[in-house]
Amino acid sequence: MLDLFLVELWRSLLMLRRYPLELLGAVVTLSLIFYLLFLGARFLAGPGAEFGGKLEAVLVGYLLWTFTLGAYNGLAFGLTEEAQTGTLEQVFLTPYGPIPLFLVRNLAELLGHALLVLLVALCLMPLTGAKLAFPPLVILPFLAVLLGGYGLGFAVGSLALLYKRVGQLLGLSQFLLLFLLQAPGEGLFALLPLTPGAALAREMMAEGAPLRPWALLLACLNGGAYLGLGLILFAQAVRRAKATGLLHGY
Amino acid sequence: MEPLLVAQGLAKRFGTLEAVRGVSLALCPGEILAFLGKNGAGKTTTVKMLSGLLLPDGGSVRLLGQDPFRNPGALRHLGAVLEGNRNTYWRLTPLENLVYFGVARGLRLFQARRRAMVLLEEYGLLEKAHTEVRHLSRGMQQKLALLQALVHDPEVLLLDEPTLGLDVETALRVQEKVRALAQGGKAILLTTHQMEVAEALAHRIAIIHRGRIVLEGTKGEILARFAGNHYVLELETPPPQEVLSRLRALGVEGEGPFLYRGDGEGLWRVLEALKPLPLKRVARAEADLLEVFLKVVEHA
Repeated sequence: MLDLFLVELWRSLLMLRRYPLELLGAVVTLSLIFYLLFLGARFLAGPGAEFGGKLEAVLVGYLLWTFTLGAYNGLAFGLTEEAQTGTLEQVFLTPYGPIPLFLVRNLAELLGHALLVLLVALCLMPLTGAKLAFPPLVILPFLAVLLGGYGLGFAVGSLALLYKRVGQLLGLSQFLLLFLLQAPGEGLFALLPLTPGAALAREMMAEGAPLRPWALLLACLNGGAYLGLGLILFAQAVRRAKATGLLHGY
Repeated sequence: MEPLLVAQGLAKRFGTLEAVRGVSLALCPGEILAFLGKNGAGKTTTVKMLSGLLLPDGGSVRLLGQDPFRNPGALRHLGAVLEGNRNTYWRLTPLENLVYFGVARGLRLFQARRRAMVLLEEYGLLEKAHTEVRHLSRGMQQKLALLQALVHDPEVLLLDEPTLGLDVETALRVQEKVRALAQGGKAILLTTHQMEVAEALAHRIAIIHRGRIVLEGTKGEILARFAGNHYVLELETPPPQEVLSRLRALGVEGEGPFLYRGDGEGLWRVLEALKPLPLKRVARAEADLLEVFLKVVEHA
C-alpha cells in the first residue's frame, strides 16, 4: 500500500510539474474571485468601511472551501476524466480494489491541494490586508474538515461513476459547500458535514483562539461519519456500475 | 493441465437483451483461445465478466481458483487489453504508465520500474520511453496497451482486439509477441474480428453467437470438420475438351485448379477420367476460419 501511495504521489507531482499552468490558473482564478468579492463589498460599504475580524473569518472560510473543493471535486472529476479518456476500467483492474486505490489517490493529491491553498492565501493576505495566524495545530481541524470533504467527494463520486456527466451538479453544489464552511459549528449545525471542523479552524486562524480538544473530537467524529457514509455510497455505486456495465463509456 | 481461468454458465442481461447466455470457457497455460463473434454477439460482455469488471447475473468466474468479484486480489493474475479503451494515460510517458500500472497491479515501485524498462526494451519502445503517450503513433500506443497488461507478469491475458487499427507490419509483430507469450506459458483469450489473426495464433476456437457459444474445439478439429469431402486437383497442362466434358459430367467445378465435392470413391472416378494426363496436385480442400465462421454464424 505504501508503494501505491508513493506512485500516486509521484503521478500527482508529475502532473503539477508537467502542467504548472493548471495550478497557476487555479490560483489566479480563486484569488481573483475572492478579491473581486472583497472589492465589491468594500465599494458597497463605503471607503471608510472596516471589516474588523470578520474579514479574517471569511477568508479562512474561503481558504477552507478551496481546500475542501479538491477533496470534494477531485474524485468525481477524476472518474469522469478517466471514463472519458478510457482508463477507468484499467484502474478498476487493480488487485487493491477500487476504494482503497481511490482513498490512497485522494491522500496523495492532498499535497497539491495544500500547495494551492497556501498560494491563494499568500496572494489574498497582502491584497486584502487580512492577517491570518497559522498555528501548527490548525492542521487538525483542517484534517477533520478534509475527512468530511472526502466523504462528500465519495458521495458525488458515486454519482459520477453511475451518471458520468455531473459537472453541473458539482458546480452548483460548490456553493452549498461554501455555506457549510461558513456556518456556525454549534447546535444542529454541528450535525451538518464539515461545519464543526470549519468553525474550529476559523476560531484558531481568525481569532487566534487555542485548539479546543472537545470541539476537535466533535469535528473528527463528524468528518469520520460523513467519510464512512460516502464510502458506503461509493461501494454501492461500484457494485451497481459493475452490475449494469457502467464502468465503460462516457 | 489445470486451467488458469474457468468460467461456468455466465449469463448477463441488459434490460430485455440477453447479452450472454450460459457461456462456459476454460483457459489452460500456454494456450491461445480465439473467441470469435459478430458485433453484439456477446464477446466484450463476456471478457468484461471474465475480468471482474461486469457482474454476471448467473454463473461464476474463477481466476486461479479465486473469484475476482469477491477477492480483487485475484486480479493480480490477470492482464487485459480492453477494446474501445485507450488503456493508458495520455498525459504520462510509456515509462510512467508502466510504473504506475505495475504498482497499481501489485508490484513494488522498484520492481515496476525494472520490469517497465525490460518490457520497453523488448518491445522496441525504449526510445520513446520518455515521450508522452499522446505523441506516440497508434501502433506504439497499442503496443504500450499490451505492455500495460503484461507489466505485472500475469498468468492470464485477455486481449480484446489487440491488433485493431495497426498497420500490417506492427500487427504481425504483435502477433509474434502474443505467440511468444503463449509459448512462455501464459493463458490467452483473444477476441478479434480478424480471422487471419485468429487462425494464425489460436490453439482453440470458440464462436459466440447471440450470447451463446455455438462452436468450440481445437483449431485442427474445427478446420478438418468443416473441410468436408472436398478435393482440389491441379494438372500440369490444361485438359483437352473431351476430358473436361467427362470431368463436368462427374461434377468437377472450376477451370484449374479444379474442385471436386464428393467422397473418396467419386474421387477415383475423377482420377480415372483424367488418365493419362500428368497430375500436379491432388489434395483435400482445407477450410479457412473465415469460411467456418460464416457457415457457423449463418446456420446458428
